Amino acid sequence: MSERILEVSDLNIEFHDHSLPETVVYDFDLTLHEGEIVGIVGESGSGKSMSAMAIAGLLSRHEIRKRGQILYDGRNLLDCDRDTLRRYQGEDIAVIFQEPMTSLDPVRRIGWQVEESVRLHHPEIPAERRREMALRNLADCGLADPEKVYRQYPSQLSGGMRQRVMIAAAMMGNPRILIADEPTTALDVLVQEQIIELLRRINRERGTAILFISHDLSLVRRLCSRVLVMREGRIVEAGPVEDIFNHPAEDYTRALIRAIPRVFSEKRGGEAEGEGTAAAAAPVLDVEHLDVFYQESGQGIGELFRRKRAEPVVKDISFSLRRGECLALVGGSGCGKSTLARAVAGLTRSYTGTVSRPGVQPQIIFQDPYNSLNPMHTVRWILEEPLRLTGEKNARVREKRILSMLEKVRLSPELLGRYPSQLSGGQRQRVCIGSALMQQPELLIADEPVSALDVTIQAEILELLGELRREMALSVLFISHDLRTVYQLCDTILVMEKGEIVERGAVDEVYRRPRSKYTKALLRAAGISS
Amino acid sequence: MRYAARKIIMLVVTVLAISFVVFLAFSVIPGDPALTILGGQTDPARVEALREQMGLNAPLPVRYVRWLRSFLAGDFGMSYRYSVPVSRLLGEKIPITLILTLESFLFMLLISIPLGIYSARHAGGRADRALVILNQIIMAVPPFFSGILITFFFGMLLHWFVPGGYVSWRVSLSGCVGYLVFPAIAIALPKSAMVVSILRRSLLKEARLDYVRTAYSRGSRTNYVLYRHMLRNAMGPVVTFLGMAAADMVAGSIIIEQVFGIPGLGRALLTAIANRDYPVVEAIIVLISVLVVASGAAVDLICRRLDPRISLD
Repeated sequence: MSERILEVSDLNIEFHDHSLPETVVYDFDLTLHEGEIVGIVGESGSGKSMSAMAIAGLLSRHEIRKRGQILYDGRNLLDCDRDTLRRYQGEDIAVIFQEPMTSLDPVRRIGWQVEESVRLHHPEIPAERRREMALRNLADCGLADPEKVYRQYPSQLSGGMRQRVMIAAAMMGNPRILIADEPTTALDVLVQEQIIELLRRINRERGTAILFISHDLSLVRRLCSRVLVMREGRIVEAGPVEDIFNHPAEDYTRALIRAIPRVFSEKRGGEAEGEGTAAAAAPVLDVEHLDVFYQESGQGIGELFRRKRAEPVVKDISFSLRRGECLALVGGSGCGKSTLARAVAGLTRSYTGTVSRPGVQPQIIFQDPYNSLNPMHTVRWILEEPLRLTGEKNARVREKRILSMLEKVRLSPELLGRYPSQLSGGQRQRVCIGSALMQQPELLIADEPVSALDVTIQAEILELLGELRREMALSVLFISHDLRTVYQLCDTILVMEKGEIVERGAVDEVYRRPRSKYTKALLRAAGISS
Repeated sequence: MRYAARKIIMLVVTVLAISFVVFLAFSVIPGDPALTILGGQTDPARVEALREQMGLNAPLPVRYVRWLRSFLAGDFGMSYRYSVPVSRLLGEKIPITLILTLESFLFMLLISIPLGIYSARHAGGRADRALVILNQIIMAVPPFFSGILITFFFGMLLHWFVPGGYVSWRVSLSGCVGYLVFPAIAIALPKSAMVVSILRRSLLKEARLDYVRTAYSRGSRTNYVLYRHMLRNAMGPVVTFLGMAAADMVAGSIIIEQVFGIPGLGRALLTAIANRDYPVVEAIIVLISVLVVASGAAVDLICRRLDPRISLD
């Protein structure tokens, strides 16, 4: 076995910013060998990121107490003074983070940021050589035009490109350990696959050991050789990845594995009725030759004099959605799926073509349940709002409908008085769904409703949506980039690429016999082989 | 720099609009300038003759264009009161108010930026908490009151300057600048307190952002992260406020000039209003509005330099 480069033992992390100290990580142990990829899996709040940040030396706030040992290079990093610790940071131990959109300084050029660790650790290297190194690393991390990227600012790059920049910057000092904290969670599947491939290649070619933190077990399975499963601050299970997957010892691990949506097996959501009735039912949404334009929203008086520039983001799209049907709209980020949804929901007027939706205006639930609820109001107020808007004057009727909706979305009435910040992510998304269904719309638009949630919560919400479909004969336009969740819930699928539909059909059919290259790539990235 | 060109055009349009409104306002205000000039004289023929001579009988748009044309040529008209060109009357005053405003602006920067950074750097510490409280107090004290306190303390008790002993900039520029130190501080104090709290809050907000963690993960020192990353990101709200403060300081000088007996634009404005000396009032208002609009444009340009996202998105 190769050399041990990092040994963490009995790591405990406590928060002291409230009156009672709170332990977030208990007795964390980890050994990392040269050139190894180890995964840490767990849900949010399990302490996986905390442990990783402690190893990276990034938990230095004085209200955080750490005990135990993080042994690197013969030293306990927890006992080191800041200056010694700094010598390792960015040089021996580098980190990439979950949010490539915000992890780069928005006002500095990419080149400057990529060179940062070299400037800090090796001021003796001349600027010219530093630049060469940066360009080489950028190219090596798969950025096609490194010279151009070098001069650009983060806001000019896509999420995937920014994550490549982050990796290029992290690899500048050829670190022995790369800590990757959910590096692909914010990216869409195709890009996610590319980043995973890049990490694999870096590990192979440079021998960098990688500590990969993720909530996505299928991802960990594809990348890592060993895995630690964490729950509520403790490691509940550890071992080689395949052993854990094939013979999980703990219930919790089993639950996590079960929560990975399966394809080509039993469906969780289930169709409303047989296919025949769905086809015969009346359409709740008819879209014909729809072009949606992206409008630049300028400001200032100067805008009055400038002609609005508009380019179609969605091009000539036609489809219809029947009562009780669940239609998936799938594609990578920037393919126009959310823009299409906005036009369908009536949130934008800059479109041409026809959108006809008889009945109540469709309601939307959004990706991020943390930001889509007004933090100043209680659950009761939020659920009541749609009723007030429709003019339901009788308070008793309102109360009754709120309670029955709570029951539908499986929330306890005790939560009525709570504020969104007092709810978990899953509870918040249930409140979002409840308030969307309050006006009894025939069509529900769900814009990536589960991608911000933990796997087990994802499974619960998908199950809920499936049940609601059956109970309320609800039609759903389900927008997602995750083909596994789509399979669980939807009957039909539209695949979008660059604003156009490249494939459509019944989910089973498309998954088994994809025709377009793009669909095939998406399926491959999701680990689905037909 | 297409943007700068557009900005300048907008600036000109704005100032023109303001000048028109000001002109219009003084045309509809009751009171006949010809009568004012002639004082007690009420011979209708003489009044009428003067009105004709002053061009007051022409239609409003014509008068406006005439007024504008001479205004652009630097001819702001004749003071009704003193019968001297307004430009000569104000030529003496403008530098005084300009020096006063620039001095107070400079003091504001010198006091507030270091204190704001210090306060954010040591947020939650004893010094920071004391500073936050002190800030609240200073913010609440209006310049005229601190001006009185300063006059009493530094002028009458310590004799660091002679209250009312203003030295003209024509006589001695350094003497003038020296005399204006204390009024400038009086103007700068409350504004500095606000800048400190805005910068502190802005920096603390930046400190929670992901890119700061990234910078630390590369092995940077706190000071490095603060000065090379956070400060520039945090300056946006501060610069916006500084722009408003600059405009406000010109206005603030009106009062402080009274307290310290400085014969600047502010005093001239008050006297002119009391005397219904409209050409003087008009000229001062347009000058101040040019300053306000220009500082707004400067803020926009600086913000664009600071944050590439503004021009890229």
